[in-house]
Amino acid sequence: MSTRIAGTPGAAGVAVGPTWRYSATGTAEARRMPPAVGDPGEALHAAALEAASQLEALADRVRDLGRPDEAGIFEAQAMMATDPELLDEAVARAEAGEDAVSAVRAAADAVGATLAALPDELLAARAADVRDVGARIARILLGEEMDLPGVPSVAVADDLPPSVAAEIPPGFLLGVALEGGSITAHAVILARGLGIPAIVGAKGLTRAAVSATSVAVDGGSGEIVLDPGPDEVADFAARAAALEESRRAAAALRGRPGATADGERVALLANIGSPEDAPRALDAGAEGVGLFRTEFLFMKRQTAPAEAEQVAAYAAAFTAFGPERPVVVRLADIGGDKAIPYLDLPAEANPFLGVRAIRLAAHGSRELLLTQLRAIWRAAGRAGVTPHVMAPMVATLDDARLLLELRDQARADAAATGDPLPEGMVTGVMVEIPSAAILAPELARIVDFFSIGTNDLTQYTMAADRGNPALGHLQDALHPAVLRLIRDVVAGADESHIPVAVCGELAGDPAGALVLVGLGVDELSADAGSLDGIRAALAAVTRAELDDLAGRALAAGDAETVRAMARQLLGRSGQTAAH
Amino acid sequence: MQVAELDVRNRSGLHARPAATFVKTAAAFRSKVSIENLTRGSKPANAKSLLAVLGCGVEQGHRIQVSAEGEDEVAAIEAVRKLAEGDFGEAPKG
Repeated sequence: MSTRIAGTPGAAGVAVGPTWRYSATGTAEARRMPPAVGDPGEALHAAALEAASQLEALADRVRDLGRPDEAGIFEAQAMMATDPELLDEAVARAEAGEDAVSAVRAAADAVGATLAALPDELLAARAADVRDVGARIARILLGEEMDLPGVPSVAVADDLPPSVAAEIPPGFLLGVALEGGSITAHAVILARGLGIPAIVGAKGLTRAAVSATSVAVDGGSGEIVLDPGPDEVADFAARAAALEESRRAAAALRGRPGATADGERVALLANIGSPEDAPRALDAGAEGVGLFRTEFLFMKRQTAPAEAEQVAAYAAAFTAFGPERPVVVRLADIGGDKAIPYLDLPAEANPFLGVRAIRLAAHGSRELLLTQLRAIWRAAGRAGVTPHVMAPMVATLDDARLLLELRDQARADAAATGDPLPEGMVTGVMVEIPSAAILAPELARIVDFFSIGTNDLTQYTMAADRGNPALGHLQDALHPAVLRLIRDVVAGADESHIPVAVCGELAGDPAGALVLVGLGVDELSADAGSLDGIRAALAAVTRAELDDLAGRALAAGDAETVRAMARQLLGRSGQTAAH
Repeated sequence: MQVAELDVRNRSGLHARPAATFVKTAAAFRSKVSIENLTRGSKPANAKSLLAVLGCGVEQGHRIQVSAEGEDEVAAIEAVRKLAEGDFGEAPKG
């Protein structure tokens, strides 16, 4: 009898194979072994040294395989194994009567909890690394060998630490199914890199899988089938074949501009967070950049970035894409929730509704925005391109007028330096505040383009915090209320013949892309990795089909209904399996 | 006792490799070496422990205080100061 369990999709792909179970606490039989004899402190020190030497060997091996980032993790773990913070705590617990195995696990948990409590998400990963080191020392104390898969298998675990995943020989990991973890877990990133499926958050998985011998996983849908029957195995094999076929077909379209089956052009652009993202975007066939986030220049520093530093960064991006591929620079979206020491802003109760982005100009930071605009003018002159700029958090016509005024003042100031400058700057506003969507006809008369940020537009329209997991049903940008605002923005833009782009997450989702283009959006900007999928989805449908989809979506009652409609159209054109 | 206040300018602060480099440098001396994150206002921590240094949560732009006490305290502080001036072997931007 097969058992079906649903998890959260982490990495796309389909796999069927024997189960390989991993548990940080080892097997029940091993835990019943008698505790090691002798001085627990000496035993702990010896086991810690052995763990450090194993982890150093692992670091050497993955470095030789050309994976320096992973090697860095294991080198740090080797240092943690003999770290006084961990070892002193474990020895103290052992001397107080705990057995050595429990003592080292408890010490690793305690140190991990301290790191996890710091306000820094990178340290959460270090916390998991410490606990994994504790598990390794415990295994050594128990005389256990890690039971690695002997044949290509699907890993079934609560979590799969990097140090365990790295011990699995290449080709022996077919997929990953985790009871815990999030889509940002190391195992998910690893799976994406290997091109194998990963599913996380599958409640009840480890208990249900205790006696399972085989498992089928679909990382695109989050389905897990334990001990699948012959029909289920055939079903998953067919899905794997369809996925391979659609990936191949999508990649074959790369290099062609985005368009519907009947030839209506839809520019497909990439979102980038620094000039270093340019090669990946160009490889993916990006026709330009629809969102160049500039926060990387402003965050995590004590003083504002100098103009020259900014000129170099913008010129690097402009040069990488050249004059044929426009790069839209978004003015710094900082303030509010992002603490910037040099801005000296007061703490706010509702930072997402506070003094941030363009609003900073009226609160003592006009010079910050002027400096950024001067740098963009000069960088465009240096690279020989026409600059494209947009301001976030525009709520009113006055905000847009302020942007134009800052732009013109920045050009006059930059001209005084004697650097060559381009004639004009294509200047747009982000539409992410409902008031801007409502004012679209008036805004369109004074700016050159709109770019809709669907994540914030949804958050502000539904009054639902993006980061609050309890409000998931109010965070879907496909809700008809949000779609009707997008329709109105397009209508306002059309009156003045200016283009509308979308640079939120919805643009990178093939189902969302179809709805957006149906509503009349001209350009989609998404992560480079999403471009193949949306290009293929658009190439398979006609304008008439998209018009029909948009009409039904606007009249729907909720986001789930809209998503189902779009998926149905995707499925009919054979693109469902791709994502 | 020798004390130095230093700015951490490199991209990942005292995380990952820069933290390991810092700890290995401190551990090479016989003196007792400790670190405080002045920006966060953390308690003094053992600079020879990677876990303790990570626990200080030192990010790019933070200011730290390093103290050394022992026979080679002058050399220890000098070595740490050089390390900070070289951005702990990591580029300041990225």
